[in-house]
Amino acid sequence: MATVEERVKAITARKLGVDEIKMEDSFTADLGAESVDSIELVAMFEEEFGIEMDEDAALAVQTVGDAVKFIAEVCRQQGVEIES
Amino acid sequence: MSKVKKKHRLVDAKAPNLLEDIFPYDLPPLIRLQGSAVEHIDGKPVEFDFEAVKDRPILITDTTFRDGQQARPPYTIEQMVRIYDLLSRISGPNGVVRQTEFFLYTKNDRETLDRCRALGHDYPECTGWIRAVKGDFRLVKEAGLKETGMLTSCSDYHIFQKLKFRTRKECMDSYCEVVEAAFEAGVRPRCHLEDVTRADIEGFVLPFVDRLMEMSEQVPEELSAKVRLCDTMGFGVSYPGAELPRSIPKLIYKLNRECGVPSDRLEWHGHNDFHKVHVNGGTAWLYGCDFVNTTLFGFGERTGNPPLEGAIFEYIALKGDTCGIDTCAISELADYMRSIGLPIPENYPFAGRAFNTTRAGIHAGGLRQDERIYNIFDTAKLLSRPPRVAITDKSGADGVAHWVNEFFGLRGDDRINKIRVHKLARWVIDQYDVEGRLTAISDQELEAKAKEFFPDYWDKYKTKVK
Repeated sequence: MATVEERVKAITARKLGVDEIKMEDSFTADLGAESVDSIELVAMFEEEFGIEMDEDAALAVQTVGDAVKFIAEVCRQQGVEIES
Repeated sequence: MSKVKKKHRLVDAKAPNLLEDIFPYDLPPLIRLQGSAVEHIDGKPVEFDFEAVKDRPILITDTTFRDGQQARPPYTIEQMVRIYDLLSRISGPNGVVRQTEFFLYTKNDRETLDRCRALGHDYPECTGWIRAVKGDFRLVKEAGLKETGMLTSCSDYHIFQKLKFRTRKECMDSYCEVVEAAFEAGVRPRCHLEDVTRADIEGFVLPFVDRLMEMSEQVPEELSAKVRLCDTMGFGVSYPGAELPRSIPKLIYKLNRECGVPSDRLEWHGHNDFHKVHVNGGTAWLYGCDFVNTTLFGFGERTGNPPLEGAIFEYIALKGDTCGIDTCAISELADYMRSIGLPIPENYPFAGRAFNTTRAGIHAGGLRQDERIYNIFDTAKLLSRPPRVAITDKSGADGVAHWVNEFFGLRGDDRINKIRVHKLARWVIDQYDVEGRLTAISDQELEAKAKEFFPDYWDKYKTKVK
C-alpha cells in the first residue's frame, strides 16, 4: 500500500494537473487551487481514505505537508489503517 | 487633521455583543427614541416628544383602491375583494390598518364597497373619496359611509391654475360650503389639503384650517373635520430646519398646535417623487400626525405613495411589538399582486422575489454560519420568506451549500456542508469558466441538478411533499 504522502500527492497532482508536488507547496499559492478545487480535494481525500473530515479544519490546511499530517491524524482517530 | 476631542477606549470582549435589545431578530430592528427633538419655528425652539410615539395611538390608513388604482388599469371587483380581505389580515384585531378609501362613482365602485363590507371585517374601515362637490354627498350617504375624503386643494397652482378660482376667498368659501353639506348629510369630511407642500401656509392653509375647526365646533365630535396633509408632488422634507411649506415638522406643528387640529384628526399622505416617501411618513408620525396614508407596495400616482408594508414594519419597530399584525399576509398579497399582473421589482423591500437573496459567496458564507449576519430579521417567521442565495460565478461553494440546504429545507445538524455539494459547485463554476455563461443560474436548473447530485435527499425531502 502507498503511504499517505504518496496518495495525497497523487490525488493533488491528478486534480490540479501538476507534475511535481513538494511537501511545502501551498495548495493555493503554489499549486493554483481555487475555492471549488479545495472542496473537491477534501472530498477526494475523504473518498480515498474512507474518512470524514471536519469541514472548517480541513479547509484551513494550507500546505501539502500539513494535509498529510492532518489526514494521518484523522485516520488514526477514525481507526482507518494507513501505511506510514 | 482636526484636533482630537475625545479618546475612545477599546472595550475588549471574548463574547459578542449582538445588541439584541435593538436587533431582536424575531421582530424588525427596533427604533428606540429617547427624549425630545427641538425644531425652531418662528424664531422659537419648540419641543417634540418623540419618546411618546410608543404610546401614542398612531395608525396606518390605506388608499390602494383610490390613489393606488389611479396608477394602473382598474382592478376587477373580485380582485379588490381579495385584496381587502388580505388587508384585513394584515391589519389584525387591533385595526392597525384602520381605514381604506373607495371611489363611489360607478356601479362597480359601489358593488365593490358592498362586497368588501359583506366580508364582515372590522378593519380596515371603509371610507369614501369624492370631489369637493356638494351633490357628491348623495353618493356617500347612499353608500352608508360615515366618512369621506374630499379634495380641498390648497396651493395657488391648484386654486388659480387648475380650479380657476378668481380669489382665494372664493375658493375657501366654496370648500366650506361642501364641508357644510357634509355635516348636513351626517358625513364626516376629511379635507385633503392637496399640494400643501407647495402652498402659502400662512396666507391660505392656516386660515382655511382655522375655519374648518370653527365649523367643526358646531357639530358632534364624530362629524368634526379631519385634515389630510397631501404632499402631492413629494416636495415634503423631514430635515429639522427646513423651511415652510416643505417642512413636515413645521406643517404639522402649525396645524396641530396653532390651529388646534388634534393628532387623531391629522393624516399624512405622501408621494415618492424625491425618494422620501417612507421616511416622510414616519416623520409625520413623530411630529404629531396619528395617521399615515399608504398603498400596498407603494403603487400610486406617478412614483407612488408610502408603501403600506414599509409602514407596517416601521410601526412594529416604533411600538416594539407586532400589535396583532399578520405580517406574513404581506407575502401572500405580494404573490397575489404578481398573479394578477402587477409587477413588483425583484429587489423591492419586504416583497420582491429577491429582497432577501444574496449573491456574493462571502455573504452566503456568512448566512451559512449565522443567518442573522446577512438577514434583516427573521424573514421566515415574519414574512414566510427564509433568506436565499442566487447562484452565479460569485456564489462560491458557500452559496451553493446555502441554496441546497434551503431547497431541501434542512436545519441544524441536518444541513449539508459545502464539501458535500462539491459536484454542484463544480457544475456552477464550469457554467461560467468553461461554458462562458453570463447569466444567473435559475432555480429550475439548480433543482434539476439537485435531483441528479443528491438523489437520496431528493427522495427523502422532495418526493414526500408531492
